[in-house]
Amino acid sequence: MKRFTKMEYESPDEMCFGFAKHPVKTRNGLEVGAGYVNPIIKVAPKEGSENSKESMVSECRNIAISACQRAVNIGLPSFILEQEHIAQQTANPDWAGECTQAQVEVLEHFQDEYGIKTALKATPADIRDEEKGSTYRTSEQYQNVMESIEQCCENGASIICIETTGGKSVSDYGISRGDPRALLFGIGVLGSIDMEFMWTEIVKICDKHNVIPGGDTNCSQSNTAMFLAGGLLDKDCSHTFAAIARGIGAANSLVAVECGAKGPLKDCGYENPIVKAISGVPIATEGKNAVCAHSDLMGNLIAGICDCWSNESVYHREEMGGTTPEVWLQATGFEAALMNTSIETGKHKDLRDLYTLTDKYRDPQALILAYDNAYRIGEAIVEYGDDPYRRSIAAALEVCNIITEAVEAKKMQLTRFEQDSLESAMRSFKKLPDDSAKFIKRANRRYGRKVEDFDPKNYELN
Amino acid sequence: MSYKDLEEKMNQEKIAIRYNVVAEGAAMKAEDYPEVKEILPEEEPFRTISLEILYEDKINALKDVKKALDEGISPIEIINNGLMKGIDAVSTLYTKGVYFLPDLMLAGDAMMESVKECESVLGRKSDTKGTVVCFVAEGDPHDIGKNLILMFLRAGGYEAIDLGRDVPAAKVVEAVKEYDPIFMTGTALMTTTMTAFSKVVDALEQEGLEVPAIGCGGGAVRKDYVESMPMTVYGVEAYHTPKLADAILNDNKNWEDLRKEYSDVVGEFVSEYAS
Repeated sequence: MKRFTKMEYESPDEMCFGFAKHPVKTRNGLEVGAGYVNPIIKVAPKEGSENSKESMVSECRNIAISACQRAVNIGLPSFILEQEHIAQQTANPDWAGECTQAQVEVLEHFQDEYGIKTALKATPADIRDEEKGSTYRTSEQYQNVMESIEQCCENGASIICIETTGGKSVSDYGISRGDPRALLFGIGVLGSIDMEFMWTEIVKICDKHNVIPGGDTNCSQSNTAMFLAGGLLDKDCSHTFAAIARGIGAANSLVAVECGAKGPLKDCGYENPIVKAISGVPIATEGKNAVCAHSDLMGNLIAGICDCWSNESVYHREEMGGTTPEVWLQATGFEAALMNTSIETGKHKDLRDLYTLTDKYRDPQALILAYDNAYRIGEAIVEYGDDPYRRSIAAALEVCNIITEAVEAKKMQLTRFEQDSLESAMRSFKKLPDDSAKFIKRANRRYGRKVEDFDPKNYELN
Repeated sequence: MSYKDLEEKMNQEKIAIRYNVVAEGAAMKAEDYPEVKEILPEEEPFRTISLEILYEDKINALKDVKKALDEGISPIEIINNGLMKGIDAVSTLYTKGVYFLPDLMLAGDAMMESVKECESVLGRKSDTKGTVVCFVAEGDPHDIGKNLILMFLRAGGYEAIDLGRDVPAAKVVEAVKEYDPIFMTGTALMTTTMTAFSKVVDALEQEGLEVPAIGCGGGAVRKDYVESMPMTVYGVEAYHTPKLADAILNDNKNWEDLRKEYSDVVGEFVSEYAS
C-alpha cells in the first residue's frame, strides 16, 4: 500500500471545483474531475419498500426513472445516481444485484435515447456489528457486504463506495464525553486499521470487474460529532471538538485512497477537501443542497473544490415541485451548472473564493475546511504519512493551530466551551507518546474497560 | 482580486454572526446558578457528594461515598440526598444551556458508579420512580441517541433498561412482559428502520400487551409516520424523555395525551408540535 508522504498539489490555489489531479472516467464515458462538476442525486427508499425484494427493486427503478426524466427535462448534460443501500439490501446480496441491474437499465435507456451521460454509484451498507466477540472480519454480515459489492459490480454499477464504521464504538464514547484520546484512537487508529482491511478487499473486487473503486468517508464518526455539534445554539458537542474530529477523519478517509480507491469519494465525507489536497482524487461533497437530509454550517464553502455536488439523501416522496428525485436533482443540477458556467467563463477561482468566504468564519468546522486550511492540514498529515497514528495527531494539532490563529487574529469567535475544549484537546495531544505501539497498548486497556462494545480482536490488536 | 484581498475586504458581520458567542453571559460557577442553589443540599456529606457529581469528579465522588458508607450513613440517603441532587443540578444546567453533553455523560458516569457502590451495601437495586425500556429499532446500529436517553432517564430517577441496538420486536415484547415498564423509547436513524416501530406495536397488540406510550425518535424518523399507529408518541429531544415519563407517572398521561400536550409536558416550544 502506498502511503501519501507528499502533497499531489503544489499549492492551495491550484485546487478548484471540477478539476482533480487524477480524474476518473466510467465505462459509459462520464468523467469526474476532468474540468466539469457532476450533480449527484441520492434518494432513500420509502418505508415499506424493504418488505420484499420485488418492492425494493421497483422502488429503486422508480427513483432512477424520476431522476432521469427530470435531468432530461432541465437539460443536464450529465448526472450521477447514487444508491445507498439499506441493511436489507446488503444482508441479501441478490437484492443488491437486482436493484443495481434495474437502475442501470434505466440509466442506459436514457443515455441511449438522449445522450445524457449517467453513472450509478452503488453504496452497500456496512452492516457489520461491532460488539465484543462479533467476529467483525469474518462474520456472515461481513461476507454479505463483500458479496453485495460483487453483485453491484456484476450488475453494472459504475462506481462502488461504502461508509465503513470501524472504531465507532470508541469514537462515540469520545464524542459524547469530550475525550480527545478516544477520538484519536477510534478514528485515527481503529478506523484506519479497519478501512485498510475493508478496502484491500473492495479494490480487488472492483478491479476484477473493471468498476471504479470510489471511496469511503468518516461519516460514522466525524459526522456524528458534526450532527451532535448541530447549530450555533446546540449544546451536545463542542464545535471545536467536532472540527478536530474532522481533521482526524481526513487522516482516516485517506486510507481508502491509499488502498486504491480512485474517487469520487463519498459525498458525506466533509473531510474530502483535505483528502483531495493530499491525493488529487476527485471528491463528492454536499452542503446547501443537502438541507433535505441535515443542517451544516458550511453550505457554500464545502462546494469550493468539489468534483461532484450531492444532496446527501432525501425520503422518496412527493414535494410540491415533484418527486424528491426530481426536485433535489434539479437543485444539485443547477448548482453544478453555476460552477460549470464559471469554469467555461474562466471565473471559477472567483466563485471558489466566494463559496469559501461565505462560510469561512461561520464556524470552526467550516474554517478548517476552507481550501487553504484544508491544504495546511493535508501538509501536516503527509509529514507523518507513513504512520496513521502520528498523522492523526498532526492533523488534530494543525486543526487546533488554524482555529487558534483565527481567534488571535480576531476573525473567529469562540464560546468558552469551544475555547476550553480546544485547549484541553491540544494539551492532551501534546502529551501523547510518539510511539504508536505504546499509545495503542494503553488505549486498548483503557477503552477495552470503558467501552462495552470495543474488542481489540476485531482490529487484530491482541 | 486575490482570495486574501477579498477576505480582508469583507465585513464579516454582514455574512455570519456567531450568536452562541453573542448570547454567552459572564462566566459563573455551576453551583452559583440560582436554580442549582435551590437543588443542592446544605448538609454534609451530601453537599460535598452532590458537588462532586456536579463537577463530574468520579474519583472523589466514589471516595466520599465509600467514606460515608463506612461512617454508617444509609446508602438510600446518600443516593437520594447526595447523588441524585447532584445529577438533578447537572440536568438543570444542561437544559438551561450552561452544561453540555460531555458534562452530562461524565457526571452520569460518576453518579452510576457511586450508585453501584451504595447498592452493593444495600444488597439490592435502589428504588426508582419507575422502569423505562429503551431499544434501537431492528436493523439499526446507531445507538448514540438511545445512550443519551438512558443517561437522561437515570439522571431523572428512572430505572432505564437498555435492550441495545438492532432489537427485534419479539425481544421488546419479552422486555415488556418482564419489566412492565411505565414508558418505552425506540430510536432509529434510517427511514427504513423506523418501520420496526409498527412491528413492535403489532407484536404487543397480538400479545394483548399495552404500555402507556412508546416514545419514537431519531435521525430520519418522521412524526407523521410515528403517529400513523397507536401507542406511540414522536419524541423530539433526548432530554424530553424523563419529562414524558414524569407526565405518565404523575398525571396518568398516555400516548394520546402526550401527542396533544407534548410542548406543555416538556415545558418548551417544540416546532414539530406547533399548530
